[in-house]
Amino acid sequence: MEIMKENIPEHHKLPDSAGIVKTRFYTFGQSPGELILESGEKIGPLTVAYETYGRLNDSGNNAILIFHALSGDAHAAGYNSPEDKKPGWWDMLIGPGKPFDTSKYFIICSNILGGCKGTTGPYSINPATGSPYGLSFPEITIKDMIKVQRKLIGHLGVEKLLCVAGGSMGGMLALQWLVDYPELSGAAILIATAPSHSAQEIAFNSIGRYSIISDLNWNCGNYYNGARPETGLSIARMIGHVTYISEEAMHKKFGRNISYKSGLDGANNNECLHARDFTKEFEVESYLKYQGESFIKRFDANSYLYITRAIDNFDITDGYENLADAMSRVKAKCFIISFTSDWLYPKEQSLKIVKALKINNVETVYTNFESPYGHDAFLIEDERFKKIIEGFLKSLH
Amino acid sequence: MTKTDVISKWITQNSRVLVLGCGSGEMIKELSALNRIAGSGIDIDEQKVCEAISGGLSVIQGDINTDLEDWPKKTFDFVIAHDIVQIMNKPDVTIRQMVGLGKKVIISFPNFAYCQIRFSILFSGRMPKTKLLPYEWYDTPNIHLFTIKDFKDFCIKESIFIHSQTFTGLGKKKIPAYLKPDFFAEFAYFLISDTKENAT
Repeated sequence: MEIMKENIPEHHKLPDSAGIVKTRFYTFGQSPGELILESGEKIGPLTVAYETYGRLNDSGNNAILIFHALSGDAHAAGYNSPEDKKPGWWDMLIGPGKPFDTSKYFIICSNILGGCKGTTGPYSINPATGSPYGLSFPEITIKDMIKVQRKLIGHLGVEKLLCVAGGSMGGMLALQWLVDYPELSGAAILIATAPSHSAQEIAFNSIGRYSIISDLNWNCGNYYNGARPETGLSIARMIGHVTYISEEAMHKKFGRNISYKSGLDGANNNECLHARDFTKEFEVESYLKYQGESFIKRFDANSYLYITRAIDNFDITDGYENLADAMSRVKAKCFIISFTSDWLYPKEQSLKIVKALKINNVETVYTNFESPYGHDAFLIEDERFKKIIEGFLKSLH
Repeated sequence: MTKTDVISKWITQNSRVLVLGCGSGEMIKELSALNRIAGSGIDIDEQKVCEAISGGLSVIQGDINTDLEDWPKKTFDFVIAHDIVQIMNKPDVTIRQMVGLGKKVIISFPNFAYCQIRFSILFSGRMPKTKLLPYEWYDTPNIHLFTIKDFKDFCIKESIFIHSQTFTGLGKKKIPAYLKPDFFAEFAYFLISDTKENAT
């Protein structure tokens, strides 16, 4: 769910705002030093879009790496320009005096490999052909994504992180970080995440993917010079959105209210619908349509395919006997959070991680946080939630 | 003598401690202040667990009846169950798990053979109510009440060694009960383990 903040003029000048921040870019992996992916394919050069907030201290021990979720980006906090209506996606947690206190910590967030917000992805120009990669973009994994971020923190002069943190897919990246680079982080906050996707989670993602590839405009991923698969991508977003909200929150927000105002448009622009009751629209329908329509303006359909596939393929036990064996790599103090109303990533998935950490005698903090909002609860203002994040971070020094 | 007075004198510096039913972490904080321990806890109540985490404590939201089995043996130097054994579903199972998990275990409980309780049931003919056991028979969480003698019998049966014991009772100041504790002690503290070393 988007963080809806009123556009108060000069919002970026508030004392707890990260202020005006610039997205920066780091390019590496020029031939012959291309990045070798888990699949064995090479890719390069690569550009990573990232933002930082706060300053790395002299001892270099105050850096925190934040991982965004499926549709997120490098812009985690503050405003990119004074005219921006909305701040970064985790602005409620990042800023001076906020839990990720930018007067104390050096916060880094970058767009993932395969994304469409400045980091190299299927929309980028393939240097070999001079046109967008499309489906010639190689298969990517969660492991590949953190490999890129590993390069980035090296470039920023960070030797070891104080903490890694992320929700949903961001939690998977954090978990993979703990396994692949155990020496490189002292702590981790893993929110509403899973050691691997269940059949149900894969099922929802697969509906999104089928929706995109069935859109005639998708054209095997080769659409950058023409009409885009907007209908497919917006339906993918709609189904995703349903899974991010709890039944209770959705009913509370929309109930059975009816809104006629948006009428027929886009995919529904079909006169035959006028003949019957199909022009009627429930408020929840209008809301989902709005979510779908705003998503196509900011997201690339091919990125959606590549990233959801990477999430579905993710299994932290790959290369290990079982979860406990994989967690034997972990050297960080871990804070696991699930949400009571999250039916997409239920608490049982978090508890599997907690159990595996306990078996390995890793210092672990866990709560099944009481929230009515569902999977997206980590993006929604909640004082208690802020306090537990703040308390955990303070315990690290 | 407060619970922290009694318990903290048994705990060694720099030890790793797990408090069962730690709530918002009051005991972990008090023991940390006195003994410089690495304290952690487990509690089932989300509100209290979040308070503890907000205070920077390492607490896991979980059920002491089912969630103690994952840690390796002897993970902790001390495992503490203060005033909580009587609400456990299966105290025998959980105490066995505690003794496996901790090099030393501290168990404290209200003595159901305390003189006031004995007289209360003898003369009133009703379930006794005291300051420590204030509930009605139908709403009490205390489903496994027991006495000092019961606990000692249990330790013998389970080959658990008692290293130290402290009894409090007699009035508001909780003066130590040295004389006939099974009669005069309102509350009992035991330091136990599964090894004979230093046992009394």
